[in-house]
Amino acid sequence: MNALLEIENLNTGYNGVSVVRGLNLSVNPGEVVALLGPNGAGKTTTLLTASGLVPIISGDVKVFGKSVQGRRPHMIAREGLAHVPEGRALFYQLTVAENLRLGAAKGASDVKKALGYFPALEPIMDRRAGLLSGGEQQMLAMARALTVSPKLLMVDEMSLGLAPIIVERLLPILRQIADETGAGVLLVEQHVHMALQVADRAYVLSHGELAMQGDAATLRSDRSLIEASYLGK
Amino acid sequence: MGDESVLQGFLKVTRRKPALTGLVVVLLVFAILYAWDARQLAPMFSNVGTGALMAAIALGVVLTYRGSGVVNFANGVVTIFVAYWYYGLRMEGKFYVPPLPNPLVLIEIPVNWFRDDGNKLDLINWPTVIDLPGDRLTTASALIVSLLLAVLLGLALHFLIFRPLRNAPVLAKVVTSVGLFVVLQEFLRLRFGELARTGVQFPLPKGKVSLPGELGAIPNNQLFLVAVVVAIAIALWALFRFTRFGLATRAAAENEKGAMLLGFSPDFLAGANWVLSTVIAGLVGILASPITNLDTITLPLLIVPALGAALLASFSSFGVTVAAGIGIAMLQGWVQYQGAQTWFPRGVLPTAGLTQALPFFVIVIAMFARGKALPVRGAVSSGKLPSATAPKHVWPLTSLAIVGTLVMLFGFSYDWRQSTINTLVGVVVALSLVVLTGFVGQISLAQMALAGTAGFFMSKYFADLPFPLAPLIGSVVAALFGAAISIPALRLRGVNLAVITLAAAVAIEQLVFKNKTFAGELGALRVDPPMIGGKDFGPNNTALRVLGLKGRDDVPPNVWFGVICLIFVVVLCLMVVNVRRSATGRQFLAVRSNERAAAASGIDVARTKILAFGLAAFIAGMGGALSGYRFGSVTPAYFGAFASLTFLAFAYLGGIASVSGAVLAGIVVPNGLNFNFLENILHIDQGYATLIGGIGLIITAVRNPEGLAGAPRLLAEQRALRRARKAALSKEKQDEEARTMGVGQ
Repeated sequence: MNALLEIENLNTGYNGVSVVRGLNLSVNPGEVVALLGPNGAGKTTTLLTASGLVPIISGDVKVFGKSVQGRRPHMIAREGLAHVPEGRALFYQLTVAENLRLGAAKGASDVKKALGYFPALEPIMDRRAGLLSGGEQQMLAMARALTVSPKLLMVDEMSLGLAPIIVERLLPILRQIADETGAGVLLVEQHVHMALQVADRAYVLSHGELAMQGDAATLRSDRSLIEASYLGK
Repeated sequence: MGDESVLQGFLKVTRRKPALTGLVVVLLVFAILYAWDARQLAPMFSNVGTGALMAAIALGVVLTYRGSGVVNFANGVVTIFVAYWYYGLRMEGKFYVPPLPNPLVLIEIPVNWFRDDGNKLDLINWPTVIDLPGDRLTTASALIVSLLLAVLLGLALHFLIFRPLRNAPVLAKVVTSVGLFVVLQEFLRLRFGELARTGVQFPLPKGKVSLPGELGAIPNNQLFLVAVVVAIAIALWALFRFTRFGLATRAAAENEKGAMLLGFSPDFLAGANWVLSTVIAGLVGILASPITNLDTITLPLLIVPALGAALLASFSSFGVTVAAGIGIAMLQGWVQYQGAQTWFPRGVLPTAGLTQALPFFVIVIAMFARGKALPVRGAVSSGKLPSATAPKHVWPLTSLAIVGTLVMLFGFSYDWRQSTINTLVGVVVALSLVVLTGFVGQISLAQMALAGTAGFFMSKYFADLPFPLAPLIGSVVAALFGAAISIPALRLRGVNLAVITLAAAVAIEQLVFKNKTFAGELGALRVDPPMIGGKDFGPNNTALRVLGLKGRDDVPPNVWFGVICLIFVVVLCLMVVNVRRSATGRQFLAVRSNERAAAASGIDVARTKILAFGLAAFIAGMGGALSGYRFGSVTPAYFGAFASLTFLAFAYLGGIASVSGAVLAGIVVPNGLNFNFLENILHIDQGYATLIGGIGLIITAVRNPEGLAGAPRLLAEQRALRRARKAALSKEKQDEEARTMGVGQ
């Protein structure tokens, strides 16, 4: 099977200082992969590197089989990589409808498909994104990512600033997207327990290095393993 | 009670629909004036052509702002440039080559260094004009060629200048765009001279439309121009409202990262908007040239009212931009008419000046009526501000500067003495920008106007006071003016502040310096030399005569005047050093980095800003007073709006956020030490000196936002970064080897 995302022995970081070291990771079609780890572990940096927003120091990242090195972020996005970044990167001055229209290359049908997953957005299509609640903004960010019909969807800290009850409602939708569209999903999450419930596999990063990886089911059954890796053994 | 609720309701509506309210107010005033005396409104309609041109320039400004976050101060010059190209092709059958750098200069200069005057080496230059084979071009082909050139110009501006600056802070963008204005203005002047071009041919409709009542008539050509600009505005509105391109531009303006992750290239969007803006400006410039004629001095300054119109539209609404542009021009027509009436106090308010100053008053009134924060662009990175590090090695550097200056004054010929004095005056004005723009982050384009205020007031009212008192009190007056300008600054920040200070500079120049009642019929006021102990310490005296001695080769400028300037500079520099080190200095920096955070930690932001404006204006005033002594007079040209722009450019070139930067800025200002070096050692024509400064500024802003003073620090940082990167890589290599060896075992 061809992996959608292949990270090989990646060193990446800022100003020549590695934040992530020697990471190997892959995401296959139809698979939900969770990337876990404490604050400062390098999860967000890994996603930004995959999108081409942070340059690679050494190693390689392949998206859809091609290295991201030397490619501009918008070119990678056009090939079907959707990234919901930390902070959501919504356009607050635009309405919900306009935000969605920006991603939708094919027009109304894409928007309709995305709204199918987030029907709560339909009554507020004419509202400006800046006026939405935190949960609505997160839904909009994910819906907008879906309008590009992504082959690979990366979601960074969806739960940031949201009530756990809303996270519980949003996470299963990622599972549904992976199952129905065959897209791969890479998800960065602080709510370890909830993430493992929807994920197939998980990687745990600690201080920029891979602390452990495995089936979500295994990790779910033995929480002491994860706790140990969070605390740095 | 009932009245109050009506008032509150009214205020609510004005806050929610500012454009609509503005329109209603304007129409109401118009109706009252019409009922009073319809004839007085006729002049309004004869000026709409200029209004349309202003509106088109403003549209270009708004477009580039929305596309790339740059307020293009040079858009007026771009417009005129394209119109001149059209003129050359259509009327003369000539193509005026855009100025290109000539690599042969590198040979010419060193050779001329060793030659005496009169016999200079002059190798081949780029042609300035190419005569086209055949005759003049037809209207259509000249139009097409000029617009293609406009496209190239837009691409060049984007790729060479503003693309590298896309993540730079607002200040760097404003300063670069000011530098571009200075450079293109110099190009324009050098290429086309100061002679106006009249009789441009373009088949515009003839005749005129009579207006109802006694409103007079609108010439058809002007009406056509208005129609074109309105059509462009509607097209732009539709483009931004309904197409993905427009939507993406709006999106990228707000969040570049988000746009990139959706597959849009902010770079492409910015470039496309640049091209669109230069083409629109150029097209309307060409269409307007038969009406307005072409000149290189007054037309580029249309940018001031155009910026005012763009500001009224919050740099976003195309409709409001056009309405405001044409509206300001109509108002100018009306003011002009009223100014010609017998009742008008022409003595106090010069009519021509009042029309020029009008944008300032319109902006101020609109800002206060609206009272709403303007949108601020958010980009991937807001960019690093130039670092305002606490001054180090103060005493060694001060002593070095003092000794160096004294050597320049006592040891060299008169031209070096002269340029040293100019440099000292320049340091003072640059220092005022260090306080205001470097420390507090407030972009002021009015510092020379404030300097001039001190000079003019000193000459007019305090000439009888003894020496150090007159410049001091003059500077206090400037400080009051500065504090007054800071009141709109409490509501405006970033580029909006730059626009309103530029408008203020124009207003001060036109209403105060060019006011014949105030500044006399000659347009200049005399400044008597400073007298100390009954002796003339002015620059036109000579060194030995001050001491009561006689000798040969004793020529002005007076060395002792240079020493007086040096004392002023040293005292002011040390004062700014101390301000930077004090609690006030820390408050300044806090306000610069984040006003909200500063307010949250208990700093009175308003008070801090007013203080900074006042202090900076005081320092600038000292510079104005010294330059008054230096020339023996104060003139409007020296303190004009263009001078303020140039000065900000040079202050930034030197280093906007440090005292040493101000000293370097003084060295590179026009007629300073560097200019003397260029002219008398390298034999480069004075006319090109401003150009070199402007180009230097653009390169500095693109490559090194810290200015000349920051260059050593920047280089050191880059070295440290490279070392860190190398160390990290080699460590990884070692780890790798360790791992593979481990596997091997």
